[in-house]
Amino acid sequence: MENGLRDDDWMDEIAFAAGLRDIFRIEGDSMSPTLEEGDLVLINPHAELKVGDIVVARHPFKESVKIIKRIAQILPGERYILLSDNLHESSDSRSFGAIAAKDILGKAEAKIKPET
Amino acid sequence: MFENLKEMNFEIAEAHCDGPCGVYDPAQARIEAESVLQLTKKILDLKRPEGDDAKAHAAYQNTLTRFIAIKEERAELAKHHLLVLWTDYFKPAHLEKYPNLHELFWKAAKTCSSCKQEVSLEHAEELMDYIKQVHEIFWETKNKDVAWYTAS
Repeated sequence: MENGLRDDDWMDEIAFAAGLRDIFRIEGDSMSPTLEEGDLVLINPHAELKVGDIVVARHPFKESVKIIKRIAQILPGERYILLSDNLHESSDSRSFGAIAAKDILGKAEAKIKPET
Repeated sequence: MFENLKEMNFEIAEAHCDGPCGVYDPAQARIEAESVLQLTKKILDLKRPEGDDAKAHAAYQNTLTRFIAIKEERAELAKHHLLVLWTDYFKPAHLEKYPNLHELFWKAAKTCSSCKQEVSLEHAEELMDYIKQVHEIFWETKNKDVAWYTAS
C-alpha cells in the first residue's frame, strides 16, 4: 500500500470524534484510482508530511476551494509540489505552481468505508 | 466503523479542475466570440430612425441597448473561457512546442476587452482569429484532428 490509503479503523473514529481528524468527500477523478468520486477520506491536520503523501490543501487562486493531491516534491522554504495521480488533463502544481506549507490542511491517512 | 455518515455533511476536497475533470473545449470561447462578431455587425447595420417618431426612437434605443449589453456579456464570457483554458488546461510542457502560447492568450484576452470598448468589426474578427489559433493548438496537444468551423 505504498501509494494507496489504508482502510479506516476504530482508532480513526475516536480521533475524529475527538476533533483530531477531519473528513472530506472527494469530487472529481484526478486522484483516480487511489480516490474516486464520492470517497470519504480521513485527514490528519497534524501529520508530518513527506513525498508521496496525499494531502488536502487550499487552492492557491480559488477562495474557499480545497483540493486533494499527492506531494511530488518538497522545495526549500517548505513549499510543496502537488500532482494528481491521474495526470491526464488535471489541474495541479504543473499549472498553479508550488503550495506553501500554511495552505496544506492535512495528510490523508485512510479511506473511510461507510457502514451499510 | 463511522456510523451515520450518510447524515453528515463533509467539506469537499476537489480532485478536478474547473469543469468536469478533463473536459475542455475551445468551442466555448468560439461560440461567445461568434456572438460578439454577429452583434458587432448588427450594431453597425442598425439604422437610426429619422424624424420625431417617439415609438420608433424608443424601439431603436431598446434594440441598440440590448445588442450592446449582450455583446458586452459575450465578450466577457469569451475572455472567461480563454482564461480557463490558459490557466487550467495548458501546462508548462506545452510551452516547449508552443513558445508563444502566453502571448496568444494575452492578446486574445485583450481583444475581448477591445470588442467591449469599441464597435469594431476588425477587433471581432481578430478575436475569432486568435481563438482559431487556440483551437488548432489545443487539438494538436490532444492528437486529434478537429476541424475549425463556425455556427454562423
